[in-house]
Amino acid sequence: MVRKIFLMFLFLLCVAALALPKEKLVIAGRDGGYGAALQIAVDLFMERNPDVEIELLKLPYKGLYEKLVIDLSAGGGAYDIVMLDDPWATEFMSLGWLAPLEELGYTPDPDFVPTALSVCRYPYPDGTLYALPHVGNVELFAYRKDLFAKYGLASPPKTWADVLEAAAVISANEPGVYGVVFRGRKGNPIVTGFLPILWGFGADIVKDGEVVLNSKEAVAALKFFLLLKQYAPEGVEIWNSSEVKEALLAGDAAIAIEVWPAWVPDLDNPEKSKVVGKVEIAPAPGLVEKSSPMLGAWLLGISSASRNKELALEFLKFVTSAEIQKVLTLKAGHAPTRVSVLTDPEVVAKYRWFPSQLAALEAAVPRPRVLVWSEIEGILGEYLQLALIGELSPEKALAEAAGRIAEVLGD
Amino acid sequence: MRALGRWGRRHANLLFLLPALILIVFLTVYPLVRVFYLSLYRYNPIRRIERFVGLGNYRRLFADRFFLTGLRNTFLFSVGATLIEVLLGLGLALLFNAKFRGRKLLLPLVIFPMMFSTMVICAIWRSMYHYDYGIFNYALRTAGFQPVKWLISQDLALWSVMLVDIWQWTPMAFLILLAGLQSIPGELYEAARVDGATGARLFRHVTLPLLRNHIFLALLLRSIDTFKIFDKVYALTGGGPGTATETISFYIYREGFRYFNMGRASAAAVVMFLAVSVVSFIYIRQVWRGEG
Repeated sequence: MVRKIFLMFLFLLCVAALALPKEKLVIAGRDGGYGAALQIAVDLFMERNPDVEIELLKLPYKGLYEKLVIDLSAGGGAYDIVMLDDPWATEFMSLGWLAPLEELGYTPDPDFVPTALSVCRYPYPDGTLYALPHVGNVELFAYRKDLFAKYGLASPPKTWADVLEAAAVISANEPGVYGVVFRGRKGNPIVTGFLPILWGFGADIVKDGEVVLNSKEAVAALKFFLLLKQYAPEGVEIWNSSEVKEALLAGDAAIAIEVWPAWVPDLDNPEKSKVVGKVEIAPAPGLVEKSSPMLGAWLLGISSASRNKELALEFLKFVTSAEIQKVLTLKAGHAPTRVSVLTDPEVVAKYRWFPSQLAALEAAVPRPRVLVWSEIEGILGEYLQLALIGELSPEKALAEAAGRIAEVLGD
Repeated sequence: MRALGRWGRRHANLLFLLPALILIVFLTVYPLVRVFYLSLYRYNPIRRIERFVGLGNYRRLFADRFFLTGLRNTFLFSVGATLIEVLLGLGLALLFNAKFRGRKLLLPLVIFPMMFSTMVICAIWRSMYHYDYGIFNYALRTAGFQPVKWLISQDLALWSVMLVDIWQWTPMAFLILLAGLQSIPGELYEAARVDGATGARLFRHVTLPLLRNHIFLALLLRSIDTFKIFDKVYALTGGGPGTATETISFYIYREGFRYFNMGRASAAAVVMFLAVSVVSFIYIRQVWRGEG
């Protein structure tokens, strides 16, 4: 009897031993469409590597930065792979939180769009490689080509002045259609909505480590932003991307100064959209400067504290490969970072605006490569909104913001 | 007990308290002291900045428009929400203290809002407040009124957030006050009626004095809770538009956990701690006086 129990125990132990030695990776990723796309890649990878187990955490944007900073700065190693927004890259890379990829034996592929790969390097733009570009997000400009044709407006609008004129004409003549929509909510949304205008007017926030926000050009850009607001819907100061998207899909907006590849495919989806085939996508207009769309890439990096770096690199190579990017793009509306995928005939046949998206990506401007971007963005977001709701004059808002940003940079 | 020896026997009560005391020291006293200490430093653990600035953080706070507006909004919110919640709770408690048909059925319904997650509640209210598609403005438009800028208007946003808090937490004040009402012995009312008191006079001279401590308890609990208002602001407005719904907790969160300026966040936390302490002290003294 005792022997029988002992044998059974031994057998169970063997089963457990066989089940255990699976290698495991934990990925801190995004929720929503980003999560769904990455999940497809994770499933494919596990299918091809049955001895690997990957746990994909789908985290909302709100709070993701805080979670990553707390784990990475403590060297906790809770995540092997992290998905990061490109403006956080300087901080994550310069503080040694991510593993240098070339040391792990990786050689970068020239197929990646250069602007997207350069934000993966520290120092920017040609230092050590710490991450790979996963989502090739870039701010796109959307407008209703049917309405533009109806009123004989320049299509696509070449400059911001054209945009203002179009918004005015359409607002005046099309009841129920907002001339322009954008994200006015304070913090990250309003900053992202405003940056292409700021850059288009030839202004900037930080240049060579110095604040240059308090300039004539910046004030002109902010004044222009206020002019545009006249043709925007009531309450645009609390709008975020979901409101912009709803308005476009419902046919209530003629121009959206900032749309993102992640949800652009919905515009041609008859189940969701009342404007199938009527919305044209273009790179952001320019004015003084050429078109300066904002880069908003999502990168994948390996935590320095990961105990499974080789395997993590294998997964990174897999998910950013041309083969998998094409699958994700076709199946989940992923925004690729490879030229070969962005120009693939099968892909372009499905997403008609991909040539514009590639052009925008190639012209894209990244947000300032500084350690303290999230604080600068926070400050700028507060003051831009105070100007937008008329509590501060554009001059005063920018001067105060510049002062606070200089204080942050001076520390 | 014998194993404890003479000293142990004499101080047994202290020994029994020890585990709880140790917990309190680690979880409450230490963080409190540390927050006071950090508030005197420019301290950012991520950027590895640590230097003594004395009262610099406090001077900076009281020159910061966002903090000052936050302070003002927090007081407005706390006082407004607490008073309305306790008043409504009192009304409901009086109603439910009487016997009427369907009381057993209605009681769970009234305390329903308390049982949901705040984030879920906020998501629902946010869609109801929507200027174009929300149900409130739909109702107003259908009835021929102008739509209201619930979360958009700078003058209204804080009140709209307050309304959600009132909806969610009035039941708590209601439960406390109902418990108070039901603990008043019926004989007192009988005696008062024999003496000729009715209606308003019964309420004024019997109910109110005996309910006093429960009212103060409800006021205290709701003030402390509303003073910490964070989740609803985070989910409904993000502190906007402008600085209309900026609150102290939100300020602390942003400085501490987005920018990791722990020194400044600590200084703001100290200010908040002092404010809550003063309010609690006043209430508790009132309750003690009532008992003495």
